Amino acid sequence: MKKIFILIMFFCSILVSAQKYYTKTGVTEFKASVEAFESVEAKNKSTTAILNTNTGEFAALLFIKSFHFDIALMQEHFNENYMDSDQFSKATFKGEIAAFNLDELTKSDKNFTLKGILTVRGISKEVETIVRLKRIGSKIVLDSEFNVSPQDFNIEIPSIVRKKIAESIHLTLSYELVEKI
Amino acid sequence: MKRHLVLLALTFLCINTVNAQDDLLNELEDEAKTKDITYEQPAFKAMKIGNLQSTKVAAKGELYMYVSHRFGALNDGFDTFFGLDNANTKIQMVYGIFNGVQIGMARESIRKTYSSHIKAKFMSQSKDFPVNIVGYATVNIRTDIKEDKYPLLQFADRMSYATQLLVSRRLNNKFSLELAPTFVRQNLVLEPFQKHNQIALGVGGRYKISKRMSINADYVYNFSRHEDSIYNDPLTIGLDIETGGHVFQLLFSNAQSTNEPGFISNAEGDWFGKVFFGFNIVRVF
Repeated sequence: MKKIFILIMFFCSILVSAQKYYTKTGVTEFKASVEAFESVEAKNKSTTAILNTNTGEFAALLFIKSFHFDIALMQEHFNENYMDSDQFSKATFKGEIAAFNLDELTKSDKNFTLKGILTVRGISKEVETIVRLKRIGSKIVLDSEFNVSPQDFNIEIPSIVRKKIAESIHLTLSYELVEKI
Repeated sequence: MKRHLVLLALTFLCINTVNAQDDLLNELEDEAKTKDITYEQPAFKAMKIGNLQSTKVAAKGELYMYVSHRFGALNDGFDTFFGLDNANTKIQMVYGIFNGVQIGMARESIRKTYSSHIKAKFMSQSKDFPVNIVGYATVNIRTDIKEDKYPLLQFADRMSYATQLLVSRRLNNKFSLELAPTFVRQNLVLEPFQKHNQIALGVGGRYKISKRMSINADYVYNFSRHEDSIYNDPLTIGLDIETGGHVFQLLFSNAQSTNEPGFISNAEGDWFGKVFFGFNIVRVF
């Protein structure tokens, strides 16, 4: 009788506990540069991201203040004037990689479709993009890029600098996920 | 049977704890509890609140150019076109030599003064520390007095100094306050009864009225001012307008000098008569 209980318990945990891969040092970059003007770009090297390898569900989270610009003043303006980082400290993504199968991943890139909701400044927007996945050793490497526009998240750009900031902002993601124990 | 119940309970508990983490985003929220110090955003946008130095320090490698203008007294009326004819102009270059340390050189017309300064950030406001602390020191050399008029004049007489400790806090998104204990040394005082060493306390603040505009004010109380002095404590009220790499500061003050030994010791105007209109323009390269 006791053995059966232990067996049930064991099964339950296996059934419910999902296999997950994650990172805390994912790199998220954006470029909003316009040729002939100062480059407007920043890098966030502390993005957390997690992938459920059973279901293909994927989520990512980053702190806006952790975006690093080469020009300190630009970073200050980004946080204070454009992103309201005190009020909206983080940006999140939650979605699913369609037809994800861990066994299909190899050493070379394989394309998948990632669909989900990107939330920036408290405003959610649906995003669909291609992600490239590969497996290197025990890591899953995820690369992707997509474009967003500042208007989608109610980011006001004053007329005086409108020419210097691209209308479409290019985001690049590069996450190396390791198994979460 | 009792033991079985316990096991059963444990099983459920086990399922529950795993279930609770089903939402990936929630799981991330727990992971993402950041350990690194996140600094508060700066208390002030420009290096000056109005006349008083703010706790902003140029980042390493940043070059700022300041052009400050203080027109003559408004109450001069049409005679000088409300002070337009007697403007004091200051041009200053500021450079961030290390992270948190800036140096600057300037020349202003009033008393033909050359000045240099060093400003260093000691502490930044963060979740763990309540205030920004910055040290500021400036040396001024006035070159308007001539030796043929004052034969006993020595070079040291041209010098004046100011040292300040600037302590500021961004109280919320809109409101920031600063306190500035100050020591001023005037090798040559303009009034014979005035002390050479002067202790003063500056107070300044800003209130943002929109994302890119703020109302700023600063006041310096000079404890060492002689009661018969014709000079007053400087009060400056201004409006900051920020546009990308520029900050425009439009202001009214009862001091015409923009250097610390100048406006803290020798503010020649008063708010009930002689007020100067002026502006600072900042451009970052």
